[in-house]
Amino acid sequence: MSGGDLDGVGDLFAIAARELRTVVRTPAVVALSVVFGLTVVAVAAAGSGARGGYVPLVLDLLPFVEALVPLLAVALCYRAVLSDRESGELDVLRTFDVSRPAYVGGVYLGRGLAVALVVFGSLLAAGATVPMLSPPDPTFLALNEAADSPVAFLRFSVLAVLFALAVAAVALAVSAAARTARQAIALAVGLLVAFVVGVDAAAIAGLASGTFGVDAVPLALAVSPNGAFRSLVLGVAVETGGAGSPVAALAGLVGWVVVALAVAVLTAWRPVE
Amino acid sequence: MTDESTTMPNPEPATTAETVPDESTGENADVDAEPDAEGGRPAVAATDLRHAFGDVGVLDGVSLSVAPGEIVALVGPNGSGKSTLLRFLARVRAPDEGTVTVGSTDTGGGRARVGYLPQQPGFRAGFSAADTLEFYAQFVDEDVDVAGVLERVGLADAAGRRVGALSGGMTRLLGLGRALVGDPAVVVLDEPASGLDPGMVERLFDIVSDLADAGIAVVLSSHNLGPVERTADRVVVLDGGRFVADGDPRAVVESVGAADLQTAFGDLVATEEVTGR
Repeated sequence: MSGGDLDGVGDLFAIAARELRTVVRTPAVVALSVVFGLTVVAVAAAGSGARGGYVPLVLDLLPFVEALVPLLAVALCYRAVLSDRESGELDVLRTFDVSRPAYVGGVYLGRGLAVALVVFGSLLAAGATVPMLSPPDPTFLALNEAADSPVAFLRFSVLAVLFALAVAAVALAVSAAARTARQAIALAVGLLVAFVVGVDAAAIAGLASGTFGVDAVPLALAVSPNGAFRSLVLGVAVETGGAGSPVAALAGLVGWVVVALAVAVLTAWRPVE
Repeated sequence: MTDESTTMPNPEPATTAETVPDESTGENADVDAEPDAEGGRPAVAATDLRHAFGDVGVLDGVSLSVAPGEIVALVGPNGSGKSTLLRFLARVRAPDEGTVTVGSTDTGGGRARVGYLPQQPGFRAGFSAADTLEFYAQFVDEDVDVAGVLERVGLADAAGRRVGALSGGMTRLLGLGRALVGDPAVVVLDEPASGLDPGMVERLFDIVSDLADAGIAVVLSSHNLGPVERTADRVVVLDGGRFVADGDPRAVVESVGAADLQTAFGDLVATEEVTGR
Protein backbone atom coordinates (compact mmCIF):
# COMPACT_ATOMS: atom_id res chain seq x y z
CA MET A 1 0.00 0.00 0.00
CA SER A 2 1.17 3.46 -0.77
CA GLY A 3 -0.28 6.26 1.23
CA GLY A 4 -1.13 9.64 -0.19
CA ASP A 5 -2.96 12.66 1.19
CA LEU A 6 -0.14 15.07 0.53
CA ASP A 7 -0.68 18.77 0.69
CA GLY A 8 1.31 21.23 -1.39
CA VAL A 9 4.45 20.83 0.72
CA GLY A 10 4.09 17.07 0.64
CA ASP A 11 3.73 17.19 -3.16
CA LEU A 12 6.88 19.27 -3.31
CA PHE A 13 8.89 16.74 -1.32
CA ALA A 14 7.51 13.85 -3.38
CA ILE A 15 8.66 15.59 -6.55
CA ALA A 16 12.03 16.43 -4.98
CA ALA A 17 12.65 12.82 -3.98
CA ARG A 18 11.87 11.70 -7.51
CA GLU A 19 14.30 14.24 -8.95
CA LEU A 20 17.07 13.09 -6.65
CA ARG A 21 16.45 9.48 -7.59
CA THR A 22 16.46 10.44 -11.25
CA VAL A 23 19.80 12.21 -10.93
CA VAL A 24 21.36 9.30 -9.07
CA ARG A 25 20.06 6.83 -11.67
CA THR A 26 21.24 8.80 -14.70
CA PRO A 27 24.71 7.49 -15.60
CA ALA A 28 25.63 10.56 -17.67
CA VAL A 29 24.86 12.89 -14.77
CA VAL A 30 26.76 10.71 -12.31
CA ALA A 31 29.72 10.62 -14.69
CA LEU A 32 29.65 14.38 -15.10
CA SER A 33 29.55 14.85 -11.34
CA VAL A 34 32.53 12.55 -10.90
CA VAL A 35 34.45 14.42 -13.61
CA PHE A 36 33.60 17.70 -11.90
CA GLY A 37 34.87 16.43 -8.57
CA LEU A 38 38.04 14.96 -10.01
CA THR A 39 38.76 18.15 -11.95
CA VAL A 40 38.39 20.35 -8.89
CA VAL A 41 40.62 18.07 -6.82
CA ALA A 42 43.14 17.82 -9.66
CA VAL A 43 43.30 21.61 -9.97
CA ALA A 44 43.88 21.84 -6.24
CA ALA A 45 46.56 19.17 -6.23
CA ALA A 46 48.34 20.35 -9.37
CA GLY A 47 48.38 24.07 -8.56
CA SER A 48 50.55 25.83 -6.07
CA GLY A 49 47.60 27.07 -4.04
CA ALA A 50 47.17 24.00 -1.87
CA ARG A 51 50.83 24.22 -0.90
CA GLY A 52 50.39 27.80 0.22
CA GLY A 53 47.27 27.38 2.32
CA TYR A 54 43.51 27.67 2.07
CA VAL A 55 43.30 31.24 0.77
CA PRO A 56 45.76 30.64 -2.07
CA LEU A 57 43.78 27.51 -2.92
CA VAL A 58 40.57 29.56 -3.10
CA LEU A 59 42.25 31.97 -5.50
CA ASP A 60 43.53 29.01 -7.55
CA LEU A 61 40.09 27.40 -7.71
CA LEU A 62 38.03 30.54 -8.27
CA PRO A 63 38.28 30.74 -12.09
CA PHE A 64 37.72 27.00 -12.47
CA VAL A 65 34.71 27.04 -10.19
CA GLU A 66 33.32 30.03 -12.08
CA ALA A 67 33.47 28.05 -15.30
CA LEU A 68 32.70 24.52 -14.10
CA VAL A 69 29.89 25.13 -11.60
CA PRO A 70 27.56 26.73 -14.18
CA LEU A 71 28.33 23.86 -16.54
CA LEU A 72 27.40 21.30 -13.89
CA ALA A 73 24.27 23.16 -12.76
CA VAL A 74 23.02 23.67 -16.29
CA ALA A 75 23.72 20.06 -17.25
CA LEU A 76 21.71 18.78 -14.30
CA CYS A 77 18.76 21.15 -14.68
CA TYR A 78 18.27 22.44 -18.21
CA ARG A 79 15.96 19.60 -19.27
CA ALA A 80 14.27 18.77 -15.98
CA VAL A 81 10.84 20.26 -16.74
CA LEU A 82 11.17 19.82 -20.48
CA SER A 83 11.66 16.06 -20.16
CA ASP A 84 8.44 15.79 -18.15
CA ARG A 85 6.66 17.85 -20.79
CA GLU A 86 8.01 15.72 -23.64
CA SER A 87 7.09 12.46 -21.93
CA GLY A 88 3.58 13.65 -21.10
CA GLU A 89 4.22 13.29 -17.38
CA LEU A 90 3.61 16.99 -16.87
CA ASP A 91 0.06 16.53 -18.15
CA VAL A 92 -0.47 13.49 -15.99
CA LEU A 93 0.84 15.25 -12.88
CA ARG A 94 -1.70 17.97 -13.52
CA THR A 95 -4.51 15.41 -13.34
CA PHE A 96 -3.27 14.70 -9.80
CA ASP A 97 -3.81 18.36 -8.99
CA VAL A 98 -0.14 19.12 -8.37
CA SER A 99 0.30 22.90 -8.25
CA ARG A 100 2.89 24.75 -10.28
CA PRO A 101 4.79 26.06 -7.22
CA ALA A 102 4.88 22.57 -5.68
CA TYR A 103 6.11 21.05 -8.93
CA VAL A 104 8.77 23.67 -9.69
CA GLY A 105 9.79 23.85 -6.03
CA GLY A 106 10.16 20.08 -5.89
CA VAL A 107 12.23 19.91 -9.06
CA TYR A 108 14.44 22.72 -7.80
CA LEU A 109 14.84 21.18 -4.37
CA GLY A 110 15.76 17.78 -5.76
CA ARG A 111 18.08 18.93 -8.53
CA GLY A 112 19.49 21.77 -6.42
CA LEU A 113 20.31 19.36 -3.61
CA ALA A 114 22.16 17.13 -6.06
CA VAL A 115 24.11 20.07 -7.46
CA ALA A 116 24.88 21.37 -3.97
CA LEU A 117 26.12 18.00 -2.75
CA VAL A 118 28.41 17.53 -5.74
CA VAL A 119 29.83 21.07 -5.51
CA PHE A 120 30.25 21.06 -1.76
CA GLY A 121 31.66 17.54 -1.64
CA SER A 122 34.13 18.22 -4.43
CA LEU A 123 35.35 21.43 -2.83
CA LEU A 124 35.73 19.77 0.55
CA ALA A 125 37.84 17.09 -1.11
CA ALA A 126 39.91 19.83 -2.77
CA GLY A 127 40.29 21.58 0.59
CA ALA A 128 41.56 18.35 2.11
CA THR A 129 44.62 18.59 -0.11
CA VAL A 130 45.89 21.61 1.86
CA PRO A 131 46.98 19.76 5.03
CA MET A 132 48.42 17.02 2.85
CA LEU A 133 50.38 19.22 0.45
CA SER A 134 51.30 22.34 2.38
CA PRO A 135 54.70 22.36 4.11
CA PRO A 136 54.52 22.10 7.91
CA ASP A 137 56.22 25.39 8.67
CA PRO A 138 56.07 27.86 5.84
CA THR A 139 58.85 30.32 6.39
CA PHE A 140 58.85 32.12 3.07
CA LEU A 141 55.56 33.92 3.72
CA ALA A 142 54.43 35.91 6.69
CA LEU A 143 51.08 34.29 7.04
CA ASN A 144 48.44 35.35 9.45
CA GLU A 145 46.85 32.24 10.88
CA ALA A 146 43.52 34.02 11.18
CA ALA A 147 43.63 35.09 7.53
CA ASP A 148 44.37 31.62 6.22
CA SER A 149 42.17 29.06 7.84
CA PRO A 150 39.80 26.30 6.83
CA VAL A 151 37.00 28.73 7.66
CA ALA A 152 37.90 30.86 4.66
CA PHE A 153 37.74 27.80 2.45
CA LEU A 154 34.46 26.75 4.03
CA ARG A 155 33.01 30.18 3.27
CA PHE A 156 34.20 29.82 -0.30
CA SER A 157 32.55 26.41 -0.55
CA VAL A 158 29.25 27.69 0.82
CA LEU A 159 29.33 30.62 -1.59
CA ALA A 160 30.05 28.20 -4.44
CA VAL A 161 26.94 26.25 -3.45
CA LEU A 162 24.90 29.46 -3.44
CA PHE A 163 26.33 30.30 -6.86
CA ALA A 164 25.46 26.82 -8.12
CA LEU A 165 21.90 27.13 -6.81
CA ALA A 166 21.47 30.46 -8.61
CA VAL A 167 22.60 28.99 -11.92
CA ALA A 168 20.49 25.88 -11.29
CA ALA A 169 17.42 28.10 -10.85
CA VAL A 170 18.16 29.84 -14.14
CA ALA A 171 18.64 26.48 -15.88
CA LEU A 172 15.34 25.31 -14.42
CA ALA A 173 13.63 28.39 -15.83
CA VAL A 174 15.13 27.52 -19.21
CA SER A 175 13.79 23.97 -18.94
CA ALA A 176 10.31 25.26 -18.09
CA ALA A 177 10.21 27.96 -20.76
CA ALA A 178 11.67 25.90 -23.60
CA ARG A 179 9.22 23.90 -25.70
CA THR A 180 11.83 21.88 -27.56
CA ALA A 181 15.22 20.41 -26.72
CA ARG A 182 16.78 22.67 -29.33
CA GLN A 183 15.34 25.74 -27.63
CA ALA A 184 16.58 24.52 -24.26
CA ILE A 185 20.11 23.92 -25.54
CA ALA A 186 20.24 27.28 -27.28
CA LEU A 187 18.99 29.13 -24.21
CA ALA A 188 21.28 27.23 -21.85
CA VAL A 189 24.38 27.81 -23.97
CA GLY A 190 23.47 31.47 -24.43
CA LEU A 191 23.08 31.99 -20.71
CA LEU A 192 26.31 30.13 -19.94
CA VAL A 193 28.25 32.32 -22.32
CA ALA A 194 26.57 35.44 -20.96
CA PHE A 195 27.33 34.50 -17.37
CA VAL A 196 30.89 33.27 -17.82
CA VAL A 197 32.20 35.94 -20.19
CA GLY A 198 29.37 38.17 -21.42
CA VAL A 199 28.67 40.30 -18.38
CA ASP A 200 32.36 40.75 -17.54
CA ALA A 201 33.04 41.77 -21.12
CA ALA A 202 30.11 44.19 -21.08
CA ALA A 203 31.35 45.71 -17.81
CA ILE A 204 34.84 46.23 -19.24
CA ALA A 205 33.40 47.68 -22.44
CA GLY A 206 31.17 50.01 -20.46
CA LEU A 207 34.10 51.10 -18.35
CA ALA A 208 36.33 51.63 -21.38
CA SER A 209 33.74 53.63 -23.24
CA GLY A 210 32.90 55.70 -20.20
CA THR A 211 29.29 54.56 -20.21
CA PHE A 212 29.59 54.10 -16.47
CA GLY A 213 32.24 54.90 -13.90
CA VAL A 214 34.40 52.71 -11.68
CA ASP A 215 31.87 53.00 -8.87
CA ALA A 216 29.26 51.24 -10.97
CA VAL A 217 31.45 48.23 -11.75
CA PRO A 218 30.57 46.24 -8.60
CA LEU A 219 26.88 46.76 -9.26
CA ALA A 220 27.30 45.79 -12.91
CA LEU A 221 29.13 42.62 -11.89
CA ALA A 222 26.46 41.80 -9.32
CA VAL A 223 24.02 41.56 -12.21
CA SER A 224 25.54 38.24 -13.31
CA PRO A 225 25.75 35.21 -11.03
CA ASN A 226 29.44 34.83 -11.87
CA GLY A 227 30.27 38.44 -11.04
CA ALA A 228 28.26 38.31 -7.83
CA PHE A 229 29.94 35.07 -6.79
CA ARG A 230 33.40 36.50 -7.47
CA SER A 231 32.61 39.62 -5.50
CA LEU A 232 31.38 37.57 -2.57
CA VAL A 233 34.41 35.28 -2.60
CA LEU A 234 36.87 38.16 -2.72
CA GLY A 235 34.95 40.28 -0.27
CA VAL A 236 33.65 37.74 2.23
CA ALA A 237 35.52 34.46 1.90
CA VAL A 238 39.10 35.67 1.56
CA GLU A 239 38.48 39.27 2.60
CA THR A 240 40.81 40.89 0.12
CA GLY A 241 38.74 44.05 0.33
CA GLY A 242 37.76 46.40 -2.44
CA ALA A 243 35.83 43.74 -4.28
CA GLY A 244 32.58 45.57 -4.34
CA SER A 245 29.49 45.40 -2.26
CA PRO A 246 28.84 41.96 -0.79
CA VAL A 247 25.27 43.01 -0.08
CA ALA A 248 24.66 43.90 -3.72
CA ALA A 249 26.33 40.68 -4.82
CA LEU A 250 24.25 38.59 -2.42
CA ALA A 251 21.10 40.39 -3.53
CA GLY A 252 22.13 39.66 -7.12
CA LEU A 253 22.42 35.91 -6.51
CA VAL A 254 19.21 35.72 -4.47
CA GLY A 255 17.48 37.84 -7.09
CA TRP A 256 18.46 35.39 -9.82
CA VAL A 257 17.00 32.53 -7.78
CA VAL A 258 13.72 34.35 -7.10
CA VAL A 259 13.22 35.66 -10.61
CA ALA A 260 14.25 32.39 -12.26
CA LEU A 261 11.91 30.31 -10.09
CA ALA A 262 9.08 32.75 -10.75
CA VAL A 263 9.68 32.38 -14.49
CA ALA A 264 9.74 28.59 -14.11
CA VAL A 265 6.44 28.59 -12.21
CA LEU A 266 4.75 30.86 -14.75
CA THR A 267 5.97 28.96 -17.80
CA ALA A 268 5.73 25.36 -16.57
CA TRP A 269 2.13 25.16 -17.75
CA ARG A 270 -0.91 27.31 -18.26
CA PRO A 271 -3.45 26.65 -15.54
CA VAL A 272 -6.85 25.41 -16.70
CA GLU A 273 -8.72 26.88 -13.79
CA MET B 1 -21.79 14.80 -4.96
CA THR B 2 -19.93 17.89 -5.96
CA ASP B 3 -19.28 19.33 -9.36
CA GLU B 4 -16.05 20.82 -10.61
CA SER B 5 -16.51 23.17 -13.49
CA THR B 6 -13.79 24.35 -15.80
CA THR B 7 -15.01 27.59 -17.25
CA MET B 8 -13.22 29.00 -20.23
CA PRO B 9 -12.97 32.59 -21.38
CA ASN B 10 -15.87 34.05 -23.32
CA PRO B 11 -18.31 31.22 -22.86
CA GLU B 12 -21.22 31.53 -25.21
CA PRO B 13 -24.49 29.68 -25.33
CA ALA B 14 -24.34 26.67 -27.59
CA THR B 15 -25.57 27.86 -30.93
CA THR B 16 -24.27 25.00 -32.99
CA ALA B 17 -25.62 21.52 -32.75
CA GLU B 18 -22.92 19.20 -31.64
CA THR B 19 -24.04 16.55 -34.07
CA VAL B 20 -25.07 16.82 -37.66
CA PRO B 21 -28.72 15.75 -37.45
CA ASP B 22 -28.85 13.94 -40.76
CA GLU B 23 -25.89 11.81 -39.87
CA SER B 24 -26.27 11.38 -36.17
CA THR B 25 -27.76 8.29 -34.75
CA GLY B 26 -28.81 6.91 -31.43
CA GLU B 27 -28.58 9.08 -28.39
CA ASN B 28 -27.95 12.70 -28.94
CA ALA B 29 -24.79 14.01 -27.34
CA ASP B 30 -26.52 17.25 -26.44
CA VAL B 31 -26.15 16.72 -22.74
CA ASP B 32 -24.68 19.10 -20.27
CA ALA B 33 -24.03 18.81 -16.59
CA GLU B 34 -27.71 18.50 -15.82
CA PRO B 35 -29.03 15.14 -14.63
CA ASP B 36 -29.68 12.82 -17.53
CA ALA B 37 -33.01 11.24 -18.44
CA GLU B 38 -32.51 8.53 -15.85
CA GLY B 39 -31.90 11.09 -13.15
CA GLY B 40 -28.21 10.45 -12.74
CA ARG B 41 -25.57 13.09 -13.17
CA PRO B 42 -23.02 12.54 -15.91
CA ALA B 43 -19.54 11.61 -14.77
CA VAL B 44 -18.11 14.16 -17.16
CA ALA B 45 -19.77 16.67 -19.44
CA ALA B 46 -18.30 18.99 -22.03
CA THR B 47 -20.46 21.79 -23.31
CA ASP B 48 -20.02 23.74 -26.53
CA LEU B 49 -16.25 23.34 -26.80
CA ARG B 50 -14.60 25.48 -29.44
CA HIS B 51 -10.92 25.61 -30.12
CA ALA B 52 -8.49 26.68 -32.81
CA PHE B 53 -4.75 26.48 -33.27
CA GLY B 54 -4.02 29.78 -34.88
CA ASP B 55 -6.25 30.00 -37.94
CA VAL B 56 -7.02 26.32 -37.97
CA GLY B 57 -10.26 25.46 -36.20
CA VAL B 58 -10.26 22.11 -34.42
CA LEU B 59 -13.49 21.97 -32.45
CA ASP B 60 -16.60 23.85 -33.43
CA GLY B 61 -19.18 23.74 -30.67
CA VAL B 62 -18.76 20.16 -29.48
CA SER B 63 -20.72 18.85 -26.51
CA LEU B 64 -20.39 15.44 -24.91
CA SER B 65 -21.74 13.83 -21.78
CA VAL B 66 -20.62 10.50 -20.36
CA ALA B 67 -22.50 8.59 -17.68
CA PRO B 68 -20.87 6.54 -14.92
CA GLY B 69 -20.06 3.07 -16.20
CA GLU B 70 -20.40 4.12 -19.83
CA ILE B 71 -17.72 3.53 -22.47
CA VAL B 72 -17.65 6.23 -25.12
CA ALA B 73 -15.32 5.70 -28.06
CA LEU B 74 -14.18 8.76 -29.93
CA VAL B 75 -13.22 7.93 -33.50
CA GLY B 76 -12.21 10.12 -36.39
CA PRO B 77 -9.53 10.67 -39.00
CA ASN B 78 -5.99 11.54 -37.98
CA GLY B 79 -5.84 15.19 -37.08
CA SER B 80 -9.56 15.47 -36.47
CA GLY B 81 -9.05 16.83 -32.96
CA LYS B 82 -9.61 13.71 -30.88
CA SER B 83 -6.52 14.17 -28.73
CA THR B 84 -7.34 17.84 -28.26
CA LEU B 85 -10.85 17.01 -27.08
CA LEU B 86 -9.52 14.33 -24.72
CA ARG B 87 -7.04 16.79 -23.21
CA PHE B 88 -9.92 19.14 -22.52
CA LEU B 89 -11.90 16.34 -20.87
CA ALA B 90 -8.85 15.46 -18.74
CA ARG B 91 -8.56 19.16 -17.93
CA VAL B 92 -4.91 19.44 -18.79
CA ARG B 93 -5.70 22.01 -21.48
CA ALA B 94 -8.35 24.69 -21.69
CA PRO B 95 -10.43 25.22 -24.83
CA ASP B 96 -10.88 28.69 -26.25
CA GLU B 97 -14.55 28.46 -25.31
CA GLY B 98 -16.84 26.04 -23.53
CA THR B 99 -16.97 24.22 -20.24
CA VAL B 100 -15.94 20.84 -18.89
CA THR B 101 -17.71 19.59 -15.80
CA VAL B 102 -16.59 16.58 -13.82
CA GLY B 103 -18.98 15.06 -11.33
CA SER B 104 -17.39 13.70 -8.19
CA THR B 105 -18.38 11.77 -5.15
CA ASP B 106 -15.61 13.59 -3.36
CA THR B 107 -17.24 15.65 -0.64
CA GLY B 108 -14.00 17.09 0.60
CA GLY B 109 -14.13 19.98 -1.80
CA GLY B 110 -11.01 18.88 -3.64
CA ARG B 111 -10.77 18.88 -7.40
CA ALA B 112 -12.24 15.73 -8.92
CA ARG B 113 -9.50 13.79 -10.67
CA VAL B 114 -9.76 12.46 -14.17
CA GLY B 115 -7.45 9.56 -14.93
CA TYR B 116 -5.58 10.28 -18.14
CA LEU B 117 -3.54 8.12 -20.49
CA PRO B 118 -1.68 10.30 -23.03
CA GLN B 119 -1.24 9.10 -26.59
CA GLN B 120 2.46 8.46 -25.98
CA PRO B 121 2.80 7.63 -22.29
CA GLY B 122 6.28 8.28 -20.97
CA PHE B 123 7.96 7.54 -17.68
CA ARG B 124 11.14 8.40 -15.88
CA ALA B 125 13.87 6.02 -16.97
CA GLY B 126 15.48 3.95 -14.27
CA PHE B 127 12.31 3.53 -12.24
CA SER B 128 10.47 0.24 -12.00
CA ALA B 129 6.78 -0.11 -12.82
CA ALA B 130 5.94 -0.32 -9.11
CA ASP B 131 8.19 2.67 -8.29
CA THR B 132 6.36 4.70 -10.91
CA LEU B 133 2.90 3.98 -9.53
CA GLU B 134 4.10 4.50 -5.95
CA PHE B 135 5.32 7.95 -6.95
CA TYR B 136 1.91 8.93 -8.30
CA ALA B 137 0.13 7.29 -5.37
CA GLN B 138 1.58 10.00 -3.14
CA PHE B 139 -0.66 12.61 -4.76
CA VAL B 140 -4.03 11.07 -3.97
CA ASP B 141 -5.85 11.19 -0.68
CA GLU B 142 -6.47 7.53 -0.09
CA ASP B 143 -4.05 4.66 0.31
CA VAL B 144 -3.27 3.02 -3.00
CA ASP B 145 -2.78 -0.69 -3.44
CA VAL B 146 -0.05 -0.44 -6.06
CA ALA B 147 0.20 -4.21 -6.42
CA GLY B 148 -3.57 -4.30 -6.93
CA VAL B 149 -3.40 -1.67 -9.66
CA LEU B 150 -0.62 -3.58 -11.42
CA GLU B 151 -2.70 -6.74 -11.13
CA ARG B 152 -5.72 -4.92 -12.54
CA VAL B 153 -3.83 -3.95 -15.71
CA GLY B 154 -2.06 -7.27 -16.03
CA LEU B 155 1.39 -6.12 -14.99
CA ALA B 156 1.72 -7.95 -11.67
CA ASP B 157 4.64 -9.99 -12.98
CA ALA B 158 6.41 -6.87 -14.25
CA ALA B 159 6.21 -4.87 -11.02
CA GLY B 160 9.96 -4.78 -10.53
CA ARG B 161 10.87 -4.32 -14.18
CA ARG B 162 12.41 -1.02 -15.26
CA VAL B 163 10.05 1.05 -17.38
CA GLY B 164 12.66 1.19 -20.13
CA ALA B 165 12.56 -2.60 -20.34
CA LEU B 166 8.79 -2.76 -20.83
CA SER B 167 7.39 -3.54 -24.26
CA GLY B 168 5.24 -0.96 -26.05
CA GLY B 169 2.09 -2.75 -24.94
CA MET B 170 3.22 -3.03 -21.35
CA THR B 171 4.16 0.64 -21.35
CA ARG B 172 0.60 1.51 -22.34
CA LEU B 173 -0.77 -0.81 -19.67
CA LEU B 174 1.44 0.94 -17.11
CA GLY B 175 0.06 4.25 -18.38
CA LEU B 176 -3.42 2.86 -17.87
CA GLY B 177 -2.46 1.78 -14.36
CA ARG B 178 -1.17 5.27 -13.65
CA ALA B 179 -4.49 6.69 -14.85
CA LEU B 180 -6.29 4.41 -12.40
CA VAL B 181 -4.29 5.46 -9.33
CA GLY B 182 -6.70 6.97 -6.84
CA ASP B 183 -9.76 5.29 -8.37
CA PRO B 184 -10.96 8.20 -10.50
CA ALA B 185 -14.62 8.17 -11.56
CA VAL B 186 -13.60 9.12 -15.09
CA VAL B 187 -10.72 7.88 -17.21
CA VAL B 188 -9.67 9.41 -20.51
CA LEU B 189 -7.58 7.17 -22.74
CA ASP B 190 -5.94 8.57 -25.86
CA GLU B 191 -5.45 5.74 -28.34
CA PRO B 192 -4.68 3.14 -25.67
CA ALA B 193 -4.47 0.34 -28.26
CA SER B 194 -2.21 2.11 -30.73
CA GLY B 195 0.63 -0.08 -31.93
CA LEU B 196 -0.42 -3.11 -29.91
CA ASP B 197 -0.67 -6.63 -31.25
CA PRO B 198 -4.20 -8.09 -31.59
CA GLY B 199 -3.93 -10.12 -28.42
CA MET B 200 -2.82 -7.09 -26.43
CA VAL B 201 -5.63 -5.02 -27.96
CA GLU B 202 -8.22 -7.54 -26.81
CA ARG B 203 -6.64 -7.61 -23.37
CA LEU B 204 -6.75 -3.83 -23.16
CA PHE B 205 -10.40 -3.63 -24.18
CA ASP B 206 -11.23 -6.36 -21.65
CA ILE B 207 -9.69 -4.15 -18.98
CA VAL B 208 -11.72 -1.19 -20.23
CA SER B 209 -14.90 -3.30 -19.96
CA ASP B 210 -13.99 -4.23 -16.41
CA LEU B 211 -13.51 -0.56 -15.56
CA ALA B 212 -16.94 0.28 -16.89
CA ASP B 213 -18.44 -2.65 -14.99
CA ALA B 214 -16.95 -1.08 -11.87
CA GLY B 215 -18.85 2.14 -12.60
CA ILE B 216 -16.01 4.13 -14.11
CA ALA B 217 -16.86 6.37 -17.05
CA VAL B 218 -14.42 5.70 -19.88
CA VAL B 219 -13.75 7.98 -22.82
CA LEU B 220 -11.24 6.64 -25.30
CA SER B 221 -10.06 7.31 -28.79
CA SER B 222 -9.08 4.45 -31.04
CA HIS B 223 -8.55 3.37 -34.60
CA ASN B 224 -9.17 -0.27 -33.61
CA LEU B 225 -12.76 -0.19 -34.74
CA GLY B 226 -13.45 -3.91 -34.32
CA PRO B 227 -12.86 -3.93 -30.56
CA VAL B 228 -14.53 -0.52 -30.32
CA GLU B 229 -17.68 -1.88 -31.96
CA ARG B 230 -17.73 -4.82 -29.56
CA THR B 231 -16.89 -2.93 -26.40
CA ALA B 232 -18.13 0.66 -26.54
CA ASP B 233 -21.58 1.68 -25.37
CA ARG B 234 -21.42 4.70 -27.65
CA VAL B 235 -19.38 5.68 -30.62
CA VAL B 236 -18.85 9.35 -31.41
CA VAL B 237 -17.38 10.20 -34.80
CA LEU B 238 -15.47 13.47 -34.86
CA ASP B 239 -14.73 15.09 -38.18
CA GLY B 240 -14.36 18.65 -39.33
CA GLY B 241 -14.60 19.91 -35.76
CA ARG B 242 -18.08 18.43 -35.27
CA PHE B 243 -19.61 15.13 -34.27
CA VAL B 244 -20.93 13.58 -37.46
CA ALA B 245 -22.35 10.56 -35.66
CA ASP B 246 -23.08 9.66 -32.09
CA GLY B 247 -24.79 6.58 -30.76
CA ASP B 248 -24.80 2.89 -30.09
CA PRO B 249 -22.22 1.22 -32.38
CA ARG B 250 -24.89 -0.91 -34.03
CA ALA B 251 -27.09 2.12 -34.67
CA VAL B 252 -24.17 4.06 -36.15
CA VAL B 253 -23.40 1.17 -38.48
CA GLU B 254 -27.03 0.77 -39.53
CA SER B 255 -27.52 4.49 -40.06
CA VAL B 256 -25.31 4.35 -43.14
CA GLY B 257 -26.29 0.86 -44.15
CA ALA B 258 -22.83 -0.49 -43.52
CA ALA B 259 -21.82 -3.97 -42.51
CA ASP B 260 -19.55 -2.96 -39.70
CA LEU B 261 -18.07 0.07 -37.98
CA GLN B 262 -14.99 0.03 -40.16
CA THR B 263 -17.12 0.45 -43.29
CA ALA B 264 -19.43 2.93 -41.59
CA PHE B 265 -16.44 5.02 -40.56
CA GLY B 266 -15.36 5.28 -44.18
CA ASP B 267 -18.85 6.36 -45.23
CA LEU B 268 -19.18 8.90 -42.44
CA VAL B 269 -15.90 10.68 -42.96
CA ALA B 270 -15.14 9.96 -46.62
CA THR B 271 -16.66 13.19 -47.87
CA GLU B 272 -15.18 15.24 -45.10
CA GLU B 273 -12.03 17.19 -45.62
CA VAL B 274 -9.08 16.15 -43.51
CA THR B 275 -7.03 19.22 -42.90
CA GLY B 276 -4.26 17.72 -40.84
CA ARG B 277 -5.39 19.23 -37.57
